[in-house]
Amino acid sequence: MSDLARQQSDFQRGILTGDDSILAEIPDSQKENRATLFGVYRHAYSSRLVEAMGNDHKLLHIYLGDEMFDAMGHAYVAANPSQHPNLRWFSSSLPDFLRANEPYSKHPVLSDLAALEKALNDAFDAQDAPIIGVADMAGFAPEAWADLTFRTHPSAVRLDLSTNASVVWLALKGGDEPPDPVRLEEPRRLLVWRQDVSPVFRELGVEEAMMWDEAARGIPFGVLCSMLATYADPDSAAARGAGYLHGWVTAGLLAGVSGGD
Amino acid sequence: MNVASSSPVSPTAARAEHPAPSAKPPFLGFGLGLRAQHYDEILSGDPPIDWFEVISENYMLPGGQPLRILDRIRARYPVVMHGVSLSIASTAPPNFEYLAALRDLARRVEPQWISDHLCWTGVHGKNLHDLLPFPYTREALDHVVNRVQLVQDYLGRAIVLENVSTYVQFNNSEMTEWEFLAELSRRSGCWLLFDVNNVYVSAFNHGYDPKAFLEGIPADRVVQFHMAGHSHMGTHIIDTHDHPVCEDVWELYAASLKRFGWVSTIIERDDHIPPLEEILVEVERTREIANRILPSPATQAR
Repeated sequence: MSDLARQQSDFQRGILTGDDSILAEIPDSQKENRATLFGVYRHAYSSRLVEAMGNDHKLLHIYLGDEMFDAMGHAYVAANPSQHPNLRWFSSSLPDFLRANEPYSKHPVLSDLAALEKALNDAFDAQDAPIIGVADMAGFAPEAWADLTFRTHPSAVRLDLSTNASVVWLALKGGDEPPDPVRLEEPRRLLVWRQDVSPVFRELGVEEAMMWDEAARGIPFGVLCSMLATYADPDSAAARGAGYLHGWVTAGLLAGVSGGD
Repeated sequence: MNVASSSPVSPTAARAEHPAPSAKPPFLGFGLGLRAQHYDEILSGDPPIDWFEVISENYMLPGGQPLRILDRIRARYPVVMHGVSLSIASTAPPNFEYLAALRDLARRVEPQWISDHLCWTGVHGKNLHDLLPFPYTREALDHVVNRVQLVQDYLGRAIVLENVSTYVQFNNSEMTEWEFLAELSRRSGCWLLFDVNNVYVSAFNHGYDPKAFLEGIPADRVVQFHMAGHSHMGTHIIDTHDHPVCEDVWELYAASLKRFGWVSTIIERDDHIPPLEEILVEVERTREIANRILPSPATQAR
């Protein structure tokens, strides 16, 4: 290992672990001792990352308050050193961290809230794609519809929450007192996407969520309607399917439609 | 004494001694570091700003509003890309995924130039998201020259490197920071971004005269100035970029103009970002001081 490589290794270890061996290679300044000067880097490291987490998770920050968010943030920084050159992705594992580590794992509303904020952040700068409109759908003859497959917009993701975190999110966003956290019997099924430049989400019923998940896998419209027929009145399945589809098109959720060939 | 110039020439250095010719970037005038807080005011108005510097990583994204805004800014103003994660002095293997994303963004933005910092940001697969110092040794110089050559070859253009604020020095340094920068620029062909505030901060922290730094940098290699504020801790200064430019730094700016002439300049604010109107006062001051001190740019040989 070169001398420069060894020094960088020691310097980084000094920041990440508190190891002081690098101080032997650093002089005091005329006005300050080396430990204080090196401490500028130590302090900046975790405080910068926790600040970035706060920017990505503004509502989780409000929900936890400064002190708890700060403690949680430093714990996350210690467990997840950044491995990406772009700070944008540093908080990506936060929902998993909160789900897996006490005391946060005892309060699943926290990981759900973080997951919702992450999904909205991801939708905000997700890949661009043209969206199809009602006119694009009108071009297909009625007999072609059964074979139509759909390409969902790259910003669209489904999220199942086990708590009322979406209600908590709405309250916090509106500046209101959030409701008490509740663990739900049935998951709350959300669809998160970007409309023009703004990330949005809405709740889906169990039937629409199923149809979306299957459509996103490339299942053709005719098969989707057959699946809907097993959920409720079979006679109105095609109409229900067409209704959901119309909603997706007008919401800008679909980036493509293909006829069967 | 310039220790570097008397150092034995390694094979790496010999290859780098002949940098690809690269035209000196043009003088762009007096600009501002683009921040999201000012998007609306800039796009809905016509603020007297000559050009913008954008943080490359803020736009190294799949899509969405940031890139759309950048396209609109780019349609109206010259833009320079300024990165924080090139980690040019790191001994870790080069990150080609990062370089590819940087190159892709440059193809979209067509910036006047691409800059980053003379520093490292991590090793062993980690990124500390800080502009970290290293010793100014012959070994480090050879290493950084080699890396700059690699990046310039990859991007197909000469890059611009900025002096960073530092809080520590190293016992094994063999030359001054300005000697290192001068040699690096001469050998690799990279241009220099002279951060006036960082010179002031490092000079205070390490107890040298900022004018020595100023005089040690080759005048023909500097293509950009940064002006920013800092936080004074009494025994040391931290480069926080969250304050207005202080009077001492304005004085150093005037001295820098006298040494380097007309240099593209921006005001850089990263935190506690005030309304655009407030920052424009500082942009105007960079322009006003240059107009007062220097002859008309049209009459100055560049």
